[in-house]
Amino acid sequence: MEKYKISDSQLVSLYKNGNEEAFEQLLTRHKSRVFTTIYLIVKDNYVAEDLLQETFVKVVRTIKEGRYNEEGKFLPWLMRIAHNMAIDYFRKEKRYPTIIMEDGSHVFNTLEFSEDSVESKQVRQDTHAKLRELIQELPESQKEVLMMRHYMEMSFQEIAENTGVSINTALGRMRYALINLRKKMKQFNIAYDQNIYPK
Amino acid sequence: MTKTFTQNDVIRYVYHETSAKETKEIEKALLCDAKLEEIYKEVLSMKADLNKAKKVPSDKVINSILNYSKSLNLPSNK
Repeated sequence: MEKYKISDSQLVSLYKNGNEEAFEQLLTRHKSRVFTTIYLIVKDNYVAEDLLQETFVKVVRTIKEGRYNEEGKFLPWLMRIAHNMAIDYFRKEKRYPTIIMEDGSHVFNTLEFSEDSVESKQVRQDTHAKLRELIQELPESQKEVLMMRHYMEMSFQEIAENTGVSINTALGRMRYALINLRKKMKQFNIAYDQNIYPK
Repeated sequence: MTKTFTQNDVIRYVYHETSAKETKEIEKALLCDAKLEEIYKEVLSMKADLNKAKKVPSDKVINSILNYSKSLNLPSNK
């Protein structure tokens, strides 16, 4: 995890005391992580931006109304809001079946993604866009762990607890996700190079 | 004797989830195990790619969020 001179919790304290620059720093610090997580679930730029806005509106209101629980960490809390917003979007759209695990938690590893957007087709050749596309094509259990560990910054222990599997299973899923992505990116890069530099 | 590490251990190492003792041992193992080093480089490279693949929201939406926050500070007109 990146190290900052001022911690998230210090920025939240400053923001609670009316320092808007502190909030701007928090937003700048985490906007891409939150946006990417939402985008990987909803796969639509415009919807992702709406949900990003809704996420931070909730953050602003909770902190300004004095309802923020300072015992918890800011980033996991923020990511939970973003994740729930994206899942709720699917529920409202009736694209996402509500599935409750044995432990009562819901999963998003059965998520159905929306159809390819016009934008994603236009940027298909772009390597980063391709990687995001490949993440979405991963088996659901691998995608879930990858998103939770890499973008939501949950520890493998937390992922194991949240998904009801052992740490080794969570690690194994992450390993396969990374191996799969690496393999597919290599194939993509070869095909991409052959398109640009035909023999 | 150098301890044997698995691919899962390498992933924990790359994601900074190994203890100080494990970290030292893995770093030692990486120096003498070419296969482990190869896995390490692959995982590290993939991690960097995943970071680069992050999407950035538009300035418009960011400004809108900042303005919303500031608007809550305005005194009521009542």
